[in-house]
Amino acid sequence: MNRQFEKTAEMVLFLPALLSVILTLAIFVFMLVFGLPLMKGGRFFELITGSWSPGHGMYGIQPMIMGTMAIASLSVFFAFPLSMGCASLISVLAPRGFSTFLRHTVRLMTGVPTVIYGFVGIFLLVPIIRELFQNGSGFCILSASLMLALLISPTMILVFMESFDRVPKSYLDAADALGGTPVQKLVYVIIPQARQGIWMGVILSMGRSLGDTLIALMLAGNAIATPGSVLDSVRTLTAHIALVIASDYESLEFKSVFACGLILYGFNALIIVMLRYVESKGTQ
Amino acid sequence: MPCTTHETMKENHIKIKVRSLDFWYQNRQILEHVSLDFTRHTITAIVGPSGTGKSTFLTTLNRLWENIPDAQMKGRVEIEFDGTFRDIYARSFSLTQLRRSVGMVFQTPNPLSMSIYKNVAFPLKLAGYKNRKEVGNKVEKALKQAYLWEEVKDRLHEKASCLSGGQQQRLCIARALILEPEVLLLDEPTSSLDQNAGRIIETLLLDLRERCTIIIVSHYLDQVGRIADTVMEFPLKS
Repeated sequence: MNRQFEKTAEMVLFLPALLSVILTLAIFVFMLVFGLPLMKGGRFFELITGSWSPGHGMYGIQPMIMGTMAIASLSVFFAFPLSMGCASLISVLAPRGFSTFLRHTVRLMTGVPTVIYGFVGIFLLVPIIRELFQNGSGFCILSASLMLALLISPTMILVFMESFDRVPKSYLDAADALGGTPVQKLVYVIIPQARQGIWMGVILSMGRSLGDTLIALMLAGNAIATPGSVLDSVRTLTAHIALVIASDYESLEFKSVFACGLILYGFNALIIVMLRYVESKGTQ
Repeated sequence: MPCTTHETMKENHIKIKVRSLDFWYQNRQILEHVSLDFTRHTITAIVGPSGTGKSTFLTTLNRLWENIPDAQMKGRVEIEFDGTFRDIYARSFSLTQLRRSVGMVFQTPNPLSMSIYKNVAFPLKLAGYKNRKEVGNKVEKALKQAYLWEEVKDRLHEKASCLSGGQQQRLCIARALILEPEVLLLDEPTSSLDQNAGRIIETLLLDLRERCTIIIVSHYLDQVGRIADTVMEFPLKS
């Protein structure tokens, strides 16, 4: 009876696990099959390095790849110091009341819908960038990555905080008993000890910002061109997918969506591999 | 007046004065009206059943208890530095300075995850020492004082976690000694070690008495008998 129950439970749990594996693979195959017409005859390389000019039969997504990389890396670059500072305050430096307040605020921030960030970006950030640099419309890499930084930093802060809080108390006692100031304790003991968690936070939020669609769609301007500066307007892979799908279903142009999907899939796989690597290093 | 002379004599030998110390943890009173004196260059052992506030009492001497949430203290602790008694809880008294003059060794050895050398040099780094040669000399001296030099001199740059428990504890003692503290607090320093490792540390403490005033919390009565000059039994009877 009990054994029977065990077996059934195992089956019931195994099925969804199997299903999710199959789905993930199916999506990959699906994109591969639909993207194939664009990549026939060794044109995949051309596809990811070429420029976008549908009028001339060129469907290169290189500008989108560049746009995605620029926005994702710049947003992590902005979010990192912000998150380090915030996590340090919450875990180590701030008095208890303020730290609790900050902690709750960060948790709350994770729940704010992305579209709100985009909205605020359009009405607050874009005009400021436009006025400040007097260069173009203000819909650019800089605007998108600043807003995206705000969007990903709660995740980063939470991961950092968790890794700071995991530093053994005996280490903290050692630093305290030897006359270390709170800042010294943070810099010499907590941060080196939390290195793995810091990497995890950075990689996770990198994945998050690579995959984000709405912020770039609303704030980056969506111009299809290889960016030359952070004030240039770009289109990300995700925004490209969203825009093309919204407008047409038949053309070869539409097929480029699948190439974008594949690239994003590849990025995502890379992120996972990096996470696994960092994890395995930590457990050694 | 021989009596007064005797009193001053005694006063001259006192290093730490604790006066009407009360301590609460989450509204539970742990220490009640503790008033004690500790004599300079002696080993004082604090003994008693667990839960009587022995370790807590130690942390009132270097203010380490202040990290514990929901803890509260009342009373006075004065330690003699450079010939005058200073209230260590006074606003004007620097916490960093206090912790450098009052070293502490914990029940479980707690070397940081860095090399042996860096562990011992760590307090110097905190204190802002830059001169490499001076740091090197001080590290060697501290390791010698802690009876560890001979065992580690050829592998100073290996991780401290490679050392045995007893060696790690002596490493922590070396780390506590490197700033030349005047008081050394030890919270059951041998309870996680085997007998041999414990004995080495006992001999070491007897040696260190020349340099500092030592207060040790201990569970082992035989250990106390071997090393203590004074024994204080908790809970104190008022």
